[in-house]
Amino acid sequence: MITEAGRQAKFQQLAEAYGTDLYRYAMWICGNDALAKDLVQETFLRAWKALDKLNDIKAAKSWLITILRREYARTFERKVPKFTDVDKVVVPDDRELEPDDRTEVRLLRRSIMKLAPKYREPLLMQVVLGYSCQEISETLDISKSAVMTQLFRAREQLKSQLQSDGVTGNVHELF
Amino acid sequence: MSMNFSEFKRLLGAEPRSGDPEFQRARHSSPEFEEAAAEADRFETNLERAVSIPAPEGLEESLTAISDLPSDLVKRKGWWPMALAASVLIAVGAAGLTWKMNPSFDSVEDYLAYHYRHDGEKLLSRADGASASDVQALLSGLNVSAAPALAGIVGMIKYCPTPDGKGVHMILNTENGPVTVFYMPDTEVTDKEMLAFDNMEAILVDLQSGSAAIIGPNAQLISSLYNFVQDSILPAPGNS
Repeated sequence: MITEAGRQAKFQQLAEAYGTDLYRYAMWICGNDALAKDLVQETFLRAWKALDKLNDIKAAKSWLITILRREYARTFERKVPKFTDVDKVVVPDDRELEPDDRTEVRLLRRSIMKLAPKYREPLLMQVVLGYSCQEISETLDISKSAVMTQLFRAREQLKSQLQSDGVTGNVHELF
Repeated sequence: MSMNFSEFKRLLGAEPRSGDPEFQRARHSSPEFEEAAAEADRFETNLERAVSIPAPEGLEESLTAISDLPSDLVKRKGWWPMALAASVLIAVGAAGLTWKMNPSFDSVEDYLAYHYRHDGEKLLSRADGASASDVQALLSGLNVSAAPALAGIVGMIKYCPTPDGKGVHMILNTENGPVTVFYMPDTEVTDKEMLAFDNMEAILVDLQSGSAAIIGPNAQLISSLYNFVQDSILPAPGNS
């Protein structure tokens, strides 16, 4: 039987390990800073209440993501979030970047928000959360092959957007 | 059988950081593969930079504080302000938050004790310096300003919730040690009232705009700062 102190320690470990990643993921999914914070808070509140159901700490990340996605779906049913300009939320620390890279990073931020959810979500799971294609497949309950197609198309769309925005590079040679 | 270029490009677009041995071998199998891999790496690095949004300051504290909250607060709806009441830290410039009165505090004394127990001690150790411009920037968000003498000794400053909305938590590095000041723009207090909780003493200060609580380890120290604080937190120009 886990003690209350042990329960608190376990919870705090989760918050420290995954709070930032969940916020980033929520922010890119909903495009709204206030809603993202609220989603993460709500996720951890629910996690705290249901912590005894988490038997395997290795499964914590996907468990939290499942809670967050469910909460987001519930929120989205009630109201469509107002998308904010991501530049108002992101405080870029990109002074060390070459001008071309800086431009590309900024355009990518805008382009990510324009991706359809079916492309954006697996891409963010991979890039923000570090999920493998297999983990994305299990979380989204779609085949691994479908995940790979969506990830490929997501990147393809981002690169196309960069090209249409005039960012130079060899990206066109990949496709 | 080795991977052909078409398969390789598909994998580069789907899972460019894959550690799959065959994929890794293919990356170096010819100049054409190497060039495509290098371009994909460059793009992926920028993509990773693009998604790396900094988390709001205080997020982690606000999350870990959930496990400190009394169970009756955890069960409430619209609990984000309650979590903030426990966590108190929020990024400068963070938008979209609603600062609400926390109905769980029956008195200023309850609020001070709850707030201080949560992070008062912890923040004392972080009071290693705040710039005068930071001090003025935060206070101006609440339509007040700090006299230079006060701004010059602030070791840490953050927005925090108060019983009636949004306020400021700051640490003053005085000659006699660090002292905590909560600025509460919308809270009425009984001027000069002395309060005590745990091993701490507090004195309430009625200001020209709002109020403050000075919290320290003994009554003599905080009383000696009463006039200083009262004269140093002033309505911002145009708000008097």
